Amino acid sequence: MSQRQRKLFACFTVLCMAVAFAPTAGAMHIMEGYLSPPLCIAWGAVCLPFLALGLRSIRRKTGGQSQNLLLLALCGAFVFVISSLKIPSVTGSCSHMTGTGLSAILFGPAVTSVLGLIVLIFQAILLAHGGLTTLGANCFSMAIAGPLAAYGLYRGLRAVKVDRKACVFLAAFLGDLFTYCVTSVQLAAAYPAAEGGAAASLVKFLGVFAPTQLPLAVVEGILTVVIVIGLETYASRELKDIGYLGGNEV
Amino acid sequence: MKRELILQARDLRYSYDGERMALDGVSMDIAQGEKIAVIGSNGAGKSTFFLHLNGVLTPHGGEILCHGTTITAKTAKELPRYVSIVFQNADDQIIASTVRDEVAFGPMNLKLPKDEVASRVEEALEYMNLSGYQDRPPHYLSGGEKKRVSIADMIAMHPEIIIFDEPTASLDPQNAELLEGVLDRLSAGGKTILLSTHDVDLAYRWAQRLVVFHNGRIVADGDPLQVFQDRDVLAQASLKRPVLLEVYEGLTAKGLTGGGAWPRTVHELLADCSSSDKDR
Amino acid sequence: MERQNHHRGHRHDGAVLSIDYCAYASAIRGWNPYYKTAFSAACLILCVACDSPAVSLAVILTMGGISVGLGRLPLRRYLSLLSVPLLFILLSGAAIALGVSLQPAGQYSVHLGFFYLYLTQGGLTQALGLMLKALGAVSAMYMLTLSTPASEVIQVLRSLRVPRTLLELMNLIYRYIFILMDTQCRMKHAASARLGYCDYRTALATFGRTASNLLVVSLKKGSTYYQALASRCYSGELRFPAGEKPVRPVQVLLAVGFLMFLILLWRITG
Repeated sequence: MSQRQRKLFACFTVLCMAVAFAPTAGAMHIMEGYLSPPLCIAWGAVCLPFLALGLRSIRRKTGGQSQNLLLLALCGAFVFVISSLKIPSVTGSCSHMTGTGLSAILFGPAVTSVLGLIVLIFQAILLAHGGLTTLGANCFSMAIAGPLAAYGLYRGLRAVKVDRKACVFLAAFLGDLFTYCVTSVQLAAAYPAAEGGAAASLVKFLGVFAPTQLPLAVVEGILTVVIVIGLETYASRELKDIGYLGGNEV
Repeated sequence: MKRELILQARDLRYSYDGERMALDGVSMDIAQGEKIAVIGSNGAGKSTFFLHLNGVLTPHGGEILCHGTTITAKTAKELPRYVSIVFQNADDQIIASTVRDEVAFGPMNLKLPKDEVASRVEEALEYMNLSGYQDRPPHYLSGGEKKRVSIADMIAMHPEIIIFDEPTASLDPQNAELLEGVLDRLSAGGKTILLSTHDVDLAYRWAQRLVVFHNGRIVADGDPLQVFQDRDVLAQASLKRPVLLEVYEGLTAKGLTGGGAWPRTVHELLADCSSSDKDR
Repeated sequence: MERQNHHRGHRHDGAVLSIDYCAYASAIRGWNPYYKTAFSAACLILCVACDSPAVSLAVILTMGGISVGLGRLPLRRYLSLLSVPLLFILLSGAAIALGVSLQPAGQYSVHLGFFYLYLTQGGLTQALGLMLKALGAVSAMYMLTLSTPASEVIQVLRSLRVPRTLLELMNLIYRYIFILMDTQCRMKHAASARLGYCDYRTALATFGRTASNLLVVSLKKGSTYYQALASRCYSGELRFPAGEKPVRPVQVLLAVGFLMFLILLWRITG
């Protein structure tokens, strides 16, 4: 490698890092075309049992009443809108919430899996975030794994009487981080490194996305706290109607 | 002329929360072809009453008769065939993603045959001057256009009674005027119209019958002129009087009017005044 | 009530989703949605499955041609829409091309503190191929979404026996997205009129409060939406007349021809 090549390469690296540092098109969607067909199908298959459970839970919760389904649809539209909004950012660039931690805390993980799937479909066809072939993988990381982690944390921390705000923050923050780890695993499995295999690749993906995802997760946590506290103050009755878990504690 | 009664509401009672009565014994007969204005402050029970007429809400007490038959919980689903509500906010009502699908939504739910649905949609769109909008998405239409779509929605269901819930609330003057034209055309075509409004001037010039709601009850029901002259009712329901009436009475006190029939429009008022000029 | 015929899709307030907006304006919106979905999906799958730069390039050019040439989408609009996923494509392309190692490796490497970042020729080729593949896949998807409103896509899903509850939710959510976006937009304007976004801290608090308010307001309106549906005899299933959009034989012929061309291309170059 000549001196000039070395310099050029260093410049290229710095450029890549700079791009990586500016929070980009937000949440961790795997783009259309990034996964091979077997992986697309495999991740889709992994999601199916969760989605079936989610649909069953929705049917049970709504009890066949179209009025209740309509309320759920409003919640779904809410999650979509929240995740499509530009959140305030220091650098002025564009980033989004995932909204899935919030959804898991408010509506439970089963319902969130189905709402999350629909939100992902609409993000793919209306916003070109994510894609249709990668729907299974994205659904698993964003609509199932992340919300499950967030919900589990929230319930667990509530049970040991951690402060409410801290609970919500940690659940949303760590749920977001978990989503990002799962996505990195998915990408690493699809693109193992030439040297060191999938494990080395995982370190690499985690590293590349960490600078954008860590601050985003913090912001997501803060916003989720503000939203949940706001909802509890103004709308405890409406929240009870849709089965918000905290409803009985307010 | 004795007109055929379409709907009779008898002593309707309804409460949303089990404490405050939203409807506290409301009785009203609606005959074919009537032009009824319903006024009353916010929360007086107008909208709740309309939702009963349409079968969306089931009364906690009292009953509704449609063409002489008592409506039961089972037959409440039939009411939308006779009575349609144009909701105040068109966005609350619009559900489909093309104008054609939107207007077809009601007729489809009536389980009409395909051709009948299509012809009703065409007819309703033409009636509301919306031909050529079939494939447009309602969510990218302007406020006035959305309102027109929401009226076409109801016309396509061929109801006998159309209820307009504060239709002029968010319209600009030009659109409000066009809406009045639609109301007149609908009544001329034999439809019965119920119009809820806060615009007493509109109620006075348009309606043949005026119904005043207050605290879940009907406190006045009759000729608009008589109701607006009943100061007790106006005070009780906190209503203002139509400007035209005030002006006319003021002019009469100064001896400037001709003493003909009470004017319903500015035009009639001017005609009356000029006839008094000639007298002098 | 307006007399003048408004410009297509014209509006003064509220938010617009540009892909959705283009779908309604597309000149090939009249094509049969099943046909478009099947063709787009076939191209998408071939593009992903063949994993060949030539196939990807052919898909990118053809799909772009259909969207811009036949769909009459302005080229600039199309390119700016393509740039949405471009950042992610570049970023993950870089991530896949670059390797991390404790020793110098690959053709090019740079020492960053305690580890080396390296680039191999193979990695670079793989990353470039991947970027092309992703662009191809995105253009195939755009061909569908830039010409087919979401409601028609849902209609296609219905015939694929997707559970009814899911479809019903999708139909309702699609409509409510626009209502909520409008409301959010107004709330945002109202908040910024009171300096709700003056600094970062305030902006975060305002954003969160607007969001919770949005959910409250929407849920409160839920009963009104239901009443409006019920007053038109809604019985738990949104029924719309299925539009008749016939497929022309020449369309099928061209689509099959193109797919066979792709497979041939893959055979030759692969």
